[in-house]
Amino acid sequence: MRQTGTGPLGRIRLYVGGLRIGRTVHSLAVPYALDALDPQETRRFERHLEGCPRCTDEVRALAADTVRLAHAASVPAPPDLRDRILTAVRATEQEAPEPVPVVRERGGAPARGRAPVLVALAASAAVLALVAVGVLVLALGRADDRLGEERAATREIAHVLAAPDARAAATRDADGRGLGVVASRARGQAVVAPSRLGSPPDGRDHQLWVMRAGAAPRSLGLLDGETPVVTDDLNGKASSLAVTVEPDGGSVRPTTAPVVQLTLKSVGFGE
Amino acid sequence: MDADALLPLVARGDQKAFEELYGLVSGPVYGLVRRVLRDPAQSEEVVQEVLLELWRTAARYDPARGSALSWILTLAHRRAVDRVRSARAASDREQRAAQRAEAPAFDQVAEEVEGSLEREWVRRCLERLTDLQHQAVTLAYYDGYTYREVARRLSVPLGTVKTRMRDGLLRLRDCLGAAA
Repeated sequence: MRQTGTGPLGRIRLYVGGLRIGRTVHSLAVPYALDALDPQETRRFERHLEGCPRCTDEVRALAADTVRLAHAASVPAPPDLRDRILTAVRATEQEAPEPVPVVRERGGAPARGRAPVLVALAASAAVLALVAVGVLVLALGRADDRLGEERAATREIAHVLAAPDARAAATRDADGRGLGVVASRARGQAVVAPSRLGSPPDGRDHQLWVMRAGAAPRSLGLLDGETPVVTDDLNGKASSLAVTVEPDGGSVRPTTAPVVQLTLKSVGFGE
Repeated sequence: MDADALLPLVARGDQKAFEELYGLVSGPVYGLVRRVLRDPAQSEEVVQEVLLELWRTAARYDPARGSALSWILTLAHRRAVDRVRSARAASDREQRAAQRAEAPAFDQVAEEVEGSLEREWVRRCLERLTDLQHQAVTLAYYDGYTYREVARRLSVPLGTVKTRMRDGLLRLRDCLGAAA
């Protein structure tokens, strides 16, 4: 496809950012269908696709070919994977179907990738919901530039959930303030999800602690709303998690009584 | 019900439909992810991510762009490829992978279970490709290499790789069309 065409269109070459745009972009359809483009080329080709019905047809036909390649690799999934996934699904809120009115009111922002997600943490939700929803819901509900970060957070959750000994626990007080955790004793990992703690008083922060048998509480950092906290160095001494209100920037040791506290016994810690 | 019928139900929050869909797609999704990543534990993680994402974002599926199965497998394949590429970038496993690539490991996983008819046909048809077509297609799709990496690996120009990939897929399509 490198020859210069003799027709009027064949001579036109456009240079944008050093990439030759034009007929050669069509030749990317096959590597695109095989997911064999780098991210930059993928974006370039997808932009091209939007205005090229012929390419869309071609990509659809090629996708049917790759589906067969996928089928050829089919292997029964491990049985316990099914249980884990169905459990997580029961606890995971779905993204709101588009179009989402809120987005339209804001005026023209494309709904794709920005659709706000209903973070409906029903009081009756399964314990996993506190954690799984909190994080998974973040993953695709934000602007594109944060997507990578949030994918990473989702991956952390999936990683903890995937541990063979992963267990979940949650607590909630009469005012609905809660703390949820999915933890793996074997990996020393936990994902902690606060819910409905409200904003701390002016000039104060919510700080998360792990309480330890025979040792001082250790800070797991300041909370940012309902953003879950991932930690990977819990050990057997960890007995509970607690959130306190601390002066701006946090304290070295808790200085107030916990707003909410969750024992880790049921998730395999704190002997 | 097939995946095209189930996916709209899943998009409306039907957990039973999701269970049924899981039964249909978990084999191909797991097999494909494992074919790309090879490591069983990592594969399970990625499959979890993909299927949870499928549940969460089912409403985004647009039938005009292809079948539901194709959408789901594309989701899975992209995620697996992302993962294997970042793993390669992080640890310099490329050298060893290059050596293994000499003998494509396509059969390894597939032979762990008894073959289905369709799988047998695809395999048979893959064998009818020329070496270069076969390697171009499988290094990209099953091993997660970009076509640029495939070109380097096979020491052929970029244009040649793209052509071989296209020829390979078309020949596969013809062969399978004849089999159907």
